[in-house]
Amino acid sequence: MTTSARRLAWLGLGIIVIGIVVGIAWPSAAESRSEHVRRLALEFRCVDCEGLSVAESATASAAEQRRDIGIRLDRGESDEQIRAAYVESFGENVLLRPASNGIGLLVWALPIAVVLLGGVGVFVALRRWSRQPRLVATDADDALVAELRTPVDDD
Amino acid sequence: MKHPLRWVALAVGAVVAIFAVILAVNVGTDPRADLNTSRLLGKSAPDFSLARFDGTKVRLADLAGKTVIVNFWNSWCRPCREELPVLQQWYREHRTDDSVVMLGIPRDDSSRAIRDAARADQMEWAVANDQGAKSATLAYATRGQPESFVISPRGRIVGSVLGPLTPGTMDQMVQAGQQNA
Repeated sequence: MTTSARRLAWLGLGIIVIGIVVGIAWPSAAESRSEHVRRLALEFRCVDCEGLSVAESATASAAEQRRDIGIRLDRGESDEQIRAAYVESFGENVLLRPASNGIGLLVWALPIAVVLLGGVGVFVALRRWSRQPRLVATDADDALVAELRTPVDDD
Repeated sequence: MKHPLRWVALAVGAVVAIFAVILAVNVGTDPRADLNTSRLLGKSAPDFSLARFDGTKVRLADLAGKTVIVNFWNSWCRPCREELPVLQQWYREHRTDDSVVMLGIPRDDSSRAIRDAARADQMEWAVANDQGAKSATLAYATRGQPESFVISPRGRIVGSVLGPLTPGTMDQMVQAGQQNA
């Protein structure tokens, strides 16, 4: 593969990765109200359940919370305001995903920091190994091998 | 740099150690501790308007100047049945006291089951069950049943208990309400 072809391949791969990341992270512009309510409800822990979100729970309290999220959206509250209101009432525990600020930031940052530092470590190790001179047999080594291969005379 | 790998390993170790210390200091000993304490303590009690089974309305704003005990419960909830004798005893002793009001609000139950339970268990205090009750369970950020709140005459939440009430906690909560009059 030529250098320009390799660059093109890397560029193509980069575009695909960025496209996937943007597609996942960017909310759909055509999101309906019910989709919006469900997306937010998926972020909150059902207080009467173990490990279920408000979107998935069939309890009366979860149904009331879904209704409340809809009312708040209709009032023009932003996602962040709704999250803040629930954290204010129930505490951080109401969020199924840790917050991306304060102490919650550590939960996100720690694995990323470790992976990045680990990646640097692997890169440095590989570069060091590739720079090490390959061992070449000297005349003395060849002579030693030849000597060892010589059949031993039992007499 | 003579041994770059050693520096990277040291950096990873240092980052992990710093994060571990920060997490340990911030999280404390019980990560679910805030589940046991209402975040609404000391705040203004959310207003509600509830319908009783006899058709009359109960509005919190109308009870200003009185200590209000709000008990969230369900007919099917075993701990709620366990605390029922405490509520009945306390109500019998204070039914003539105009400075205190007790309200029962179901969290997740059918009207019929609530009505039957209230009648069978002689719950003489105000028991409500309508859409307002559902709103109140969320407004008070209830986390289960039974859960009880005491609202001071000034309209502040001065006590909350998640789980069955005992005679001791009942008296403590009401005293806290009256001290904040």
